[in-house]
Amino acid sequence: MGTYIIRRILQMIPVILGATFLIFAMVFALPGDPVAGKCGERPCSPAYRAAYIQKYNLDKPLPVQYGKYVLNLAKGDLGTTSNNIPVADQLKLRVPVTGKLALMAVLIETGIGILAGVLTGIRRGGFLDNLVLVSTLVLISIPIFVIGNLAQLYLGTRLGWFPVTVTSSNPSVYQLLLPAIVLGSLSVAYVSRLMRTNLVENLRSDYVRTAISKGLTKRRAYGLHALRNSLIPVVTFIGFDFGALLGGAVVTEGIFNIPGIGGYVFRAIRVRDGASVVGAVTFLVIVYLVVNLLVDLLYGLLDPRISHE
Amino acid sequence: MTVQDTTRTDDARVRYEPQDGVLLEVEDLFVEFHTADGIATAINGVSFELHQGESLAILGESGSGKSVTAQAIMGILDMPPAVIPSGHIRYCGQDLLTMPEEQRRKTRGPEVSMIFQDALSSLNPVFPVGWQIAEMFRVHRGMNKSDALQQAVRLMERVQIPAARERVKAYPHQFSGGMRQRIMIAMAIALDPAVLIADEPTTALDVTVQAQIMSLLEELQEERQMGLILITHDLGVVADVADRIAVMYAGRLVEKADVDALYASPAHPYTRGLLESIPRLDQKGQTLAAIGGLPPNLMRIPPGCAFNPRCRMAQDVCRTDRPELREVAPGRLSACHFAEEVIDA
Repeated sequence: MGTYIIRRILQMIPVILGATFLIFAMVFALPGDPVAGKCGERPCSPAYRAAYIQKYNLDKPLPVQYGKYVLNLAKGDLGTTSNNIPVADQLKLRVPVTGKLALMAVLIETGIGILAGVLTGIRRGGFLDNLVLVSTLVLISIPIFVIGNLAQLYLGTRLGWFPVTVTSSNPSVYQLLLPAIVLGSLSVAYVSRLMRTNLVENLRSDYVRTAISKGLTKRRAYGLHALRNSLIPVVTFIGFDFGALLGGAVVTEGIFNIPGIGGYVFRAIRVRDGASVVGAVTFLVIVYLVVNLLVDLLYGLLDPRISHE
Repeated sequence: MTVQDTTRTDDARVRYEPQDGVLLEVEDLFVEFHTADGIATAINGVSFELHQGESLAILGESGSGKSVTAQAIMGILDMPPAVIPSGHIRYCGQDLLTMPEEQRRKTRGPEVSMIFQDALSSLNPVFPVGWQIAEMFRVHRGMNKSDALQQAVRLMERVQIPAARERVKAYPHQFSGGMRQRIMIAMAIALDPAVLIADEPTTALDVTVQAQIMSLLEELQEERQMGLILITHDLGVVADVADRIAVMYAGRLVEKADVDALYASPAHPYTRGLLESIPRLDQKGQTLAAIGGLPPNLMRIPPGCAFNPRCRMAQDVCRTDRPELREVAPGRLSACHFAEEVIDA
């Protein structure tokens, strides 16, 4: 187990290098003048321009720029924004907000998704099964910005059940509830369908037949034997989804004015703040890799047939 | 609900006593599968009895209805698509088919129990084997975890699993095929059932392991005086264990006899074909006899004798009249118009 984790962590290094290089190269390749627009309406002064170019090594070739960036990264320095604020400080403000939103969304998708999946899997072809089938199809088909805006309009403005937008830099659970529901709604569809498919498959399995012939109640045979096996891929999916949600939800954060990581990256791209984009994306890559590792370890705990030795 | 109701014990558990030594009585059982393509008659009026301490082998090809019979007795058919339009399955005189589901559930394990062909897929992959055996005691006897696990160790030792105490926490995939089948057997005999149904228990195993499992089953059956129903397509497997053999073809019993009598002189051409198709060492170099053709489609069972298209002895009467299962010699039943000639041949 220990050697497995060490091997996986070592494997992350080339992935991080590759991912940051790609992002770095893409930001580098953006057309136009990187200094333009940094000084409002007026053109920047030659002194500011020279300082800016020197700070980000913009006069050096791409490999040199990247090499210097990686050396700083190895020291734990994610760089500074064009406003001279360390990127790490910016992330420290925003990561907790996104983390809270992602956790809430995952709890919602897990609760509703698994419940819907179990109920529809046990009563296949029933009214509820068709209802869930159609409503998840609708959810999957509608783009998230439509769902977000509709939820904001009807549940926020018209009915007044939820706050329409987030107004604080450290929003409360209540303020994040509607965005979390919107964010989780798409995954609810996937979780419930994955749960249903797996449960239906396992209900037909030989070991459930054995469970029934052992004289167990249907409740125990289905609810313990079949469900325990059906949950394995569902939990894995939820883990990966949590990793993706931690990367921030640009659209949802934009609609609800949430000061999270998604909005931060989005704004940084718009104002061509290369250091912020690369720094934030590097951080997200690391988060995603760590979550992946945790999910793989969890998989080994859930399924005794998987061995990490 | 009367005061004279003495058949129930204090804990309201129903007691089952064999009547005249008969444990299980299957009477004129029909099972159909209603599918999109039509109705397949998997069991077509089967009757037999199982006595205390008796080993009955049910023999037949794939699709003959032998496994469906076992599943119908156990009550684990998928219904729908399976339908039981008529028939009775009586356990100690009580009809399992009309019994309330909760009462029937309580018979599975303590009264009637079953082991399956593929022990790997029949055991739950995510629970330790000891836990799965202990579950029998926890669910049916309300035993606590550690006592139940003790019982599981005892049973694993009984079915000769080496180092049972250490392996009780291991998972099914960590055992060999033969050991897994032993675990299935341990689970099935946990609550001392009166009837054990073994559905092709050795088909998925090596020949040497097959023999070990069969002798274990035989030993346990004698030790506990269980009624054993052994379902198989392999005549070689049953010879040593079974007392009686019932041969099934296309959902019907075609022959029933004591094992020695049947091996000495089969009373049905199908049984004879099966016996002739066993490879023997003294036939080295000769072509192995096989029964030509295929078993019938259960949606279109041929009129007359279902075996007639494959039978070397078939006459016109076989294509029109269905032979009933009748006594052709003392203690021997056959469903063939020419049974007497087959025996003498």
